[in-house]
Amino acid sequence: MEVTEKKAVKSIAIIGNPNVGKSSIFNQLTGLNQKIGNYPGMTVDKMLGYFSLGNKHFELIDLPGTYSLYPKSEDEIIAHKVLNGIGMEKPDAALVVLDACNLERSLLLGTQVMDLGIPLAFVVNMKDLAEKRGLSIQTYALYQELGVPLVMTDARNNEGMEAVRDLLSNDDFSIGKPFGELDFADLLEEVRLKYGFRTHYQAFQELIFAAYDPLADPDKKDWLAEKAGAYQFDSEAEQARETSRRYAKIKDILRSTQSSASGEPKKLHARLDRLFMHPVWGYVTFLAIMLLIFQAIFAWAEGPMNLIDGAFAAMSGWVAETLPPGVLTDLLSEGIITGIGGVVIFIPQIALLFGFLAFLEDTGYFSRVVFLMDRIMRPFGLHGKSIVPLISGMACAIPGIMATRNISNTRERLITILVTPWMSCSARLPVYIILIGLTVPDETWIGVNLQALALLAMYLIGTLFTLLGAFALKFVLKSRERSFLLTELPIYRMPRWQTVLLTMFNKSKIFVLEAGKVILAISIVLWVLASYGPSGEMENLEAEKATALESVSEDQKHELAAEYASRELEASYIGILGKAIEPAIRPLGYDWKIGIALLTSFAAREVFVATVATIYSVGEDVEDELTIREKLDKQVHADTGEKVFTRATGFSLMVFYALAMQCMSTVAVVYRETKTWKWPVLQTIGMTIVAYLGALITYQIWS
Amino acid sequence: MTAAGLDKEHTYEIAGITTSPLMVRMMEMGVMPGKTISLLRKAPFKGPMAFLIQGNVLALRIEEADLIQIKEV
Repeated sequence: MEVTEKKAVKSIAIIGNPNVGKSSIFNQLTGLNQKIGNYPGMTVDKMLGYFSLGNKHFELIDLPGTYSLYPKSEDEIIAHKVLNGIGMEKPDAALVVLDACNLERSLLLGTQVMDLGIPLAFVVNMKDLAEKRGLSIQTYALYQELGVPLVMTDARNNEGMEAVRDLLSNDDFSIGKPFGELDFADLLEEVRLKYGFRTHYQAFQELIFAAYDPLADPDKKDWLAEKAGAYQFDSEAEQARETSRRYAKIKDILRSTQSSASGEPKKLHARLDRLFMHPVWGYVTFLAIMLLIFQAIFAWAEGPMNLIDGAFAAMSGWVAETLPPGVLTDLLSEGIITGIGGVVIFIPQIALLFGFLAFLEDTGYFSRVVFLMDRIMRPFGLHGKSIVPLISGMACAIPGIMATRNISNTRERLITILVTPWMSCSARLPVYIILIGLTVPDETWIGVNLQALALLAMYLIGTLFTLLGAFALKFVLKSRERSFLLTELPIYRMPRWQTVLLTMFNKSKIFVLEAGKVILAISIVLWVLASYGPSGEMENLEAEKATALESVSEDQKHELAAEYASRELEASYIGILGKAIEPAIRPLGYDWKIGIALLTSFAAREVFVATVATIYSVGEDVEDELTIREKLDKQVHADTGEKVFTRATGFSLMVFYALAMQCMSTVAVVYRETKTWKWPVLQTIGMTIVAYLGALITYQIWS
Repeated sequence: MTAAGLDKEHTYEIAGITTSPLMVRMMEMGVMPGKTISLLRKAPFKGPMAFLIQGNVLALRIEEADLIQIKEV
């Protein structure tokens, strides 16, 4: 018996040029019901959205924005594979978003998708702008020419979205008339038959794409290359020829279906460009905007971060008190809850930074920044688009690295990812503040506070190494990809709050769900190492502490507890490790106590302060910076009686923290963005070596 | 003459694009023979150039602009 089962969920791919409002439409249809997944072997995220109309359920696949279906980056390879169902299930239909002001250009992609033989519909977006420019489009005539239904929308203002929903629920997709004309009919027929494609155009695309697809079967690649050779099929020349023919035909059709007007961008935009792209004021404005953003991040992120910190500390305390004491309770309260807290604490910074970035991106401002910065970044092997990740890195490397997505050149993107952690992030600040307070006098020198000067120097060191590192990597990482800049400067638009909020939400979600796993795992390992020691030594100390505590008065209890905390940390595995690495870090001016702090602060740089407070038994009140400073100032080496935190040691430590990775969250994010462990591991090793040498030189100079 | 040598305030027409791996990329963004092109501004220190090409503003580096051949209208 034959069962014709109707698929419960209809899957629809949505594709269009960049800046065409594709994500507006995606967001309008799916709202918060979005999921981020992976394409196997690719770094680009798979964006899925779900919604229902009546009793019909839809899955929307948001394909990356592209100008055509030719292999240039992962974006196009993904579009090709999804639309042709290569290595994944083919969607039931495609929704192609066209730009009402740029029909000619958007129809290049539109008709290419049409020729793949997939049922589709066109959404002509930004009709408001076209109307303002005096363009009018005869949709019915266009429908007759192309054989594909068209809907006019202004997605930003939610206009025409009902028509899109009707189209979806009535299943008004249709397979258009074959549009492009192709030579090599025999070759294409052979390819079509061999791989079971529907149309010659699909065969044509597969011939072009297979060489670029990292996951394509090698036998298939060989066979296609051989066939192409036999028929003297030159991939690049054919792409150019096909594009010209397509454009010519599109032009013909548009002549009768669109009445054009000037099409020039408006005066207001030109005036804004005069400021934002000015050789002087452009840079000044950019700096001012960035400064404003940082100001806002520092001002607004601190409150929520403190709240999260407090909430997790309270939760950890509550679990420790409520559950019966034991290993599991400790693991839950100190390992897992604290670990999750360490992930969640980043959300305010990530969400805020991405909120601002999405805002600026959506207005069209960022492409102007790329225009201004490209020349400055190029000598360092970076791209104009690297500037946003690098500057974000001054707040936190994590959103910075997550913002490298739109650098299309793989090498430039990788270099940006590898050097961004050298930008001086906000987690280094507490370390610098403690150490500067210890080692730099609070005096003024020609009107400048020396401590402020030292802090500025640390920021400059970070920036310097970022650029030098990029410069060095330029020679190490070779690429056959040509670096180029070919970007549209879209007209300025008011940002859409929905897009901004969704970006904030999605980026935070990606971080928590994907990087969070790695961070949690590392923090549990670090916790175990710091809380347990070999064969019963911890238990002995605990017992000793309990008896000692009974015999002292109330006032001395704090001090004694602090002392035992220090001794327990010393007896733990991490304490043993800290002692083991002492010979290696002695030349940097550190003792084993600092060694322990170096190890624990791999979790995050600011942990250094807490560990140092514990190991030097400062006591419970680590919030009190002055107490820590005073206590640390008194520390002397046990063997020589010399001060531990001399200027040389302090400077050496600051240089170490400026240059070392010392942030497991960054490691996790680099893994997630490069989809391989190779880069985060090499990066961590490289940064640690540079930090070691830097600290060594610093110590030797100042001691 | 190529677009890299364009001066401001004059509108030219694109005559052709030099064959290169970037040719298809340019074409798909609407940089095609027959389109009008004029220079809007240049970034400092021989940085990218911004062109108005048939109503759209595109930024290109000088090397890329050099691939676009232009002629007087």
